[in-house]
Amino acid sequence: MEEEKLNLEEAFQKLEETVEALEQEDISLEQSFQIYKEGMELLKKCNQAIDQVEKKVLVLNEDGESHEF
Amino acid sequence: MQNVYTVGQVNSYIKNMFAQDFLLQELSVKGEISNCKYHSSGHIYFTLKDNKGTIACVMFAGNRAGLNFRMAEGMQVVVRGTIDVYERDGKYQLYAKTIEQDGAGALYERFERLKKELEEQGMFAPEYKKPIPKYIRTLGVVTAPTGAAVRDIINITSRRNPYVQILLYPAAVQGDGAAASIVRGIKMLEKKQVDVMIVGRGGGSIEDLWAFNEEIVAQAVFDCSVPVISAVGHETDTTIIDYVADLRAPTPSAAAELAVYDAALALSGLEGIRLSMLRKLQGRIRLERASLKALEAELKKNSPMGRIRERRSNLISLEDGLNAAMRNRITKDRHRLAIYIEKLKGLSPLDKLNQGYSYVADEGGRTVTDINRVAVGDALSIYVKNGIIHTRVMDKRLMDGTKKEC
Repeated sequence: MEEEKLNLEEAFQKLEETVEALEQEDISLEQSFQIYKEGMELLKKCNQAIDQVEKKVLVLNEDGESHEF
Repeated sequence: MQNVYTVGQVNSYIKNMFAQDFLLQELSVKGEISNCKYHSSGHIYFTLKDNKGTIACVMFAGNRAGLNFRMAEGMQVVVRGTIDVYERDGKYQLYAKTIEQDGAGALYERFERLKKELEEQGMFAPEYKKPIPKYIRTLGVVTAPTGAAVRDIINITSRRNPYVQILLYPAAVQGDGAAASIVRGIKMLEKKQVDVMIVGRGGGSIEDLWAFNEEIVAQAVFDCSVPVISAVGHETDTTIIDYVADLRAPTPSAAAELAVYDAALALSGLEGIRLSMLRKLQGRIRLERASLKALEAELKKNSPMGRIRERRSNLISLEDGLNAAMRNRITKDRHRLAIYIEKLKGLSPLDKLNQGYSYVADEGGRTVTDINRVAVGDALSIYVKNGIIHTRVMDKRLMDGTKKEC
């Protein structure tokens, strides 16, 4: 199973490498399609990782229970 | 005669006067400590003095919480308490409730001492600094639940990235128990496994910010497994936790900027990468197409059809050449022939006949060129331009060698 929590920092790094890899001419066309496909999947995961749901501020009490601010 | 009073009455009267005085009930007195005695009962007796005089002081064991350092001879202190009369001795005394080292100077000294101590312990060492993760999901905040600091942090976070979860531990940031409250907050947020935490408060006096200079707070920040950004006061305020924290932010607002990535920027970055990938792939396809085309042209150039065509055209041009050479040859020969004809014409005997010459043949048709070949009476034919004359030899005469005509 792949890691549930995607590290965006690493993902961005990997995406930069993907773009660079696509620039290489010594890879085969098939390889470049494969790299592109992987890149698109990674992009999708990144978008999901940003998890665009607005969050409310939670306040903790002494017992570590939280309620909305 | 005036009234006469007992000693006890006078002392009681004075005590009562003191008791009615508003100022004497609660005042702060500064001076230098002398004759300090820590009594076994827990009470502390000492004298405060300055260059003008002295005042006797006592701190009862029940008030010892108001003293958080060990007093020593010569220290400058501020004693807060009540002035009251001790009737038995007819003396007034300062009953201390709190004793603090005097002024900013003392606090600064404490600050410098702790800073030096912690630095020597290696708590500020860069190798212990944890990197601040760039893309966080949960942000812990230890600060007062009211005031500008928490508002700034919430505003900036929700503006930059409303998708980050803020967990706030509402801490007491000044006054009694502030340090302990901050420590609890740090520990609880660590347990909640936030990605990064901001510990701080808004601006204030050095006394207001003091909790952030306490060793227990510094230790908690140092021990915390979650990266901590300190954000105490304004840019110019520096506290001990600024040195211990993994990152120091000049203000709470700045801390939020440092902790929370800009979601819009990240999303547009992703879009940029997507477009870049697409362009690169399309470029690659274009490139492959172009090289395919070049190969196709190359192949066509080298195909057998091409060679056949080439040879055919070679053949045609050879044929043309051959024909041309032939025609040329014929023309030339015709020309040469014409020249011969002209030449022959010039040599023709018939032509000579035209010029008044004739020739003679014998009966056998042989041309007569020798006198000895004919005899008198022979029939001869004389050929002239426009006919033949038949005649007979009537006479002949031999002439010696000389030719008279040609």
